[in-house]
Amino acid sequence: MLRIEQLEFAYSSAETARMRFDLSIADGEVLSLIGPSGSGKSTLLNLIAGFLDSSEGSILLDDRPIQDLAVAQRPVSFVFQQHNLFPHLDLYTNVALGVDPSLRLQPTQVEAVRAALARLGLDGLERRKPGELSGGQRQRVALARVLVRRRKILLLDEAFAALGPAQRMELIELVKELVREHDMVALLVSHQPADALLASARTAFICEGRVAALGSTAQLLEQGDPPELREYLGSK
Amino acid sequence: MSRALPAGLVLAVLALLVLAPMAGLLQLSGLPGYEAADLRFWDNAYLRRVLYFSIWQALLSTLLSVLPAILVARAFAMRGQLPLRRLLLGLFALPLVVPAVVAVMAVVSVYGSDGWLPLGRSLYGINGILLAHVFFNLPLAVRLLLPQWQAIPQHHWQLGEQLGMSTWQGWRFIEWPVLREALPGVLLLVFMLCLTSFAVVLTLGGGPRSTTLEVAIYQSLRFDFNPARAVVLALLQLGLCILVATLTLKLHRLPEVEIAESAPVRPTSALRKWLDLGLILAATLYVGLPLLSMLIDALDGPILKVITDVRLWRALTNTLLIGLSAAAVSVFAGWLLLRYSAGLAHCGRPTVARLVDLAGSIVYVVPPLVIGTGMFVLLSSHVDVFDWVYPIVIAINALMGLPFVIRCLGPAMRRNHARYHNLCLSLELQGWNRFRYLEWPLLRQPLGLAIALVTVLAMGDLGVIALFGSTQTSTLALLIYQQLGAYMIPQATVTALLLLLLCLGVFALLERLIGGAGNVAH
Repeated sequence: MLRIEQLEFAYSSAETARMRFDLSIADGEVLSLIGPSGSGKSTLLNLIAGFLDSSEGSILLDDRPIQDLAVAQRPVSFVFQQHNLFPHLDLYTNVALGVDPSLRLQPTQVEAVRAALARLGLDGLERRKPGELSGGQRQRVALARVLVRRRKILLLDEAFAALGPAQRMELIELVKELVREHDMVALLVSHQPADALLASARTAFICEGRVAALGSTAQLLEQGDPPELREYLGSK
Repeated sequence: MSRALPAGLVLAVLALLVLAPMAGLLQLSGLPGYEAADLRFWDNAYLRRVLYFSIWQALLSTLLSVLPAILVARAFAMRGQLPLRRLLLGLFALPLVVPAVVAVMAVVSVYGSDGWLPLGRSLYGINGILLAHVFFNLPLAVRLLLPQWQAIPQHHWQLGEQLGMSTWQGWRFIEWPVLREALPGVLLLVFMLCLTSFAVVLTLGGGPRSTTLEVAIYQSLRFDFNPARAVVLALLQLGLCILVATLTLKLHRLPEVEIAESAPVRPTSALRKWLDLGLILAATLYVGLPLLSMLIDALDGPILKVITDVRLWRALTNTLLIGLSAAAVSVFAGWLLLRYSAGLAHCGRPTVARLVDLAGSIVYVVPPLVIGTGMFVLLSSHVDVFDWVYPIVIAINALMGLPFVIRCLGPAMRRNHARYHNLCLSLELQGWNRFRYLEWPLLRQPLGLAIALVTVLAMGDLGVIALFGSTQTSTLALLIYQQLGAYMIPQATVTALLLLLLCLGVFALLERLIGGAGNVAH
């Protein structure tokens, strides 16, 4: 279980710019985060990953605080919208870096990398460079690296936004499977309400640096409450 | 085609300017009266020594400039929030507009026997040449390499941090692959600049032991009166330049010099921070100290005596005349070529367009001194070349400026053409109106930069004017060289400061007047 308690952050000293988050996500759950641009969705993911430092509050994974850990020590894997892969390295190396950045892999680890690529439907493509793949395949490679890293928290920041509807649906299903299989906790930021409906039973609406609404995805999108959510969804 | 004819004329003039002198050189090499031994450089110890020294000094200069530049550029990249960063990088752009002979004076004022940090018994020879070349090329290499770090996506740094990469692993997987893209191009460019460097070697080179091909050509023509040897040297220089230019074209592109403010997010230790700051400080001192020292020496020098000398004002007038005329010719020719090549690229003929642009950069392959030598040889049997000094010097300097015009203006002109040509056709916006409403507002900034850059390059040139100039037709750069030759070091320092101030003033004025103050949004 991931719990975010009174987690505070501000880009400037102005009180109005202060963000404050409270959330909890169960093991095996994918929680979608929706909200207008600049509302704080990516900031929340960056705080969990450690790319930003919170001023107050805590991030607890199974009741253990992780907010003071260095980025590399946090039990987090991050998938960005783009630039997840190093373009000059082949797929195998890109995934293997997730196991050990020195690339000194034991035979079992080599096998794990191959198995992860196979699990994501990329077997036979190990020696290809990212530039030779489609956008969907590249994100699959990033997910293969998530698998070999074996970190509990998965953060997806508009990871599938650049893909077509069919590929997006396919990859969201894949993420759900992986999260269930490995008992992970996932937060998915998306601008598409349809993605939230498909990905998660629960969704949080983030607005002005707060969790303005949290609940069943279907109900939230249907009721459009609070008014800011209605405005965001364009259903005034 | 209305655009093909003017561009064709420019290309024809370019071909004439380059090929006719070459033909003159080749013809001369076959004439009776010249010893065959002069043409067999492998039998000639002098030629072999000159060739060896040319390559050796260029190689050393390149390594001493580019290797530290990698460290300094990295330090700048890692310190995106450094106070005065923009100012320091501005200082690193200064050597681009500092005439070579001024830089020589600046280097002498620090490292010369009477300087702040005297370096051994004599600065003249390989030591001085290397110091001056590094003064020019280290900042250039820093500015060329820095954008490579800034091209690294922020997500790659974050990914590296999340995967727990060490500094070495970050260098190996994130930084080096991006740097490797640009490094061959930067190395070859600096090598080429040092190989064809004239003013530095002429003023700091010490006799036959420290002479490069360029300087040897000049000495053969002006002092030894041995055109046959000049021909062999010119052909050797041409061969070397063609080799390096071919390698440059084959190996890689040059990065765009665009300094952004973003900085990678990486936690660094205090030691690394101080190391970076130390590197930046050392490089800044290396570039700034000579200029500061020269300024102090000049202010302490015989200013009144120099500025009341009629030769100074004659040289100043000649400098401005040559600089502004060469820039006007160069930009006009470049504009016609680029207008044509942009049209070719737009209508699906990018290869031909690229060839047209490359033709404009022919001076990269055929050094100006080789062209000058050819012209000297070709014209000397028909006219007194010293009577033709202005047109010749202006033409060759315009030719030297053309690659800069193409680099400054080319991308903007191509972008403009691709975006607005069809709109212009539909609105029948042509000729003067097209220039007034579309091209001038959108292109005045790169145009201003191109004109300012070519003007100061021509103003500071010593190569061609040294070949053709005389006391009457001297420019400030040549006057400094003449003062140095007469051991009038204090006078030379004052003149060098005046030339530097003139170059900076003219550059700022032209860039501001033509380029305007603000950016025009596309």
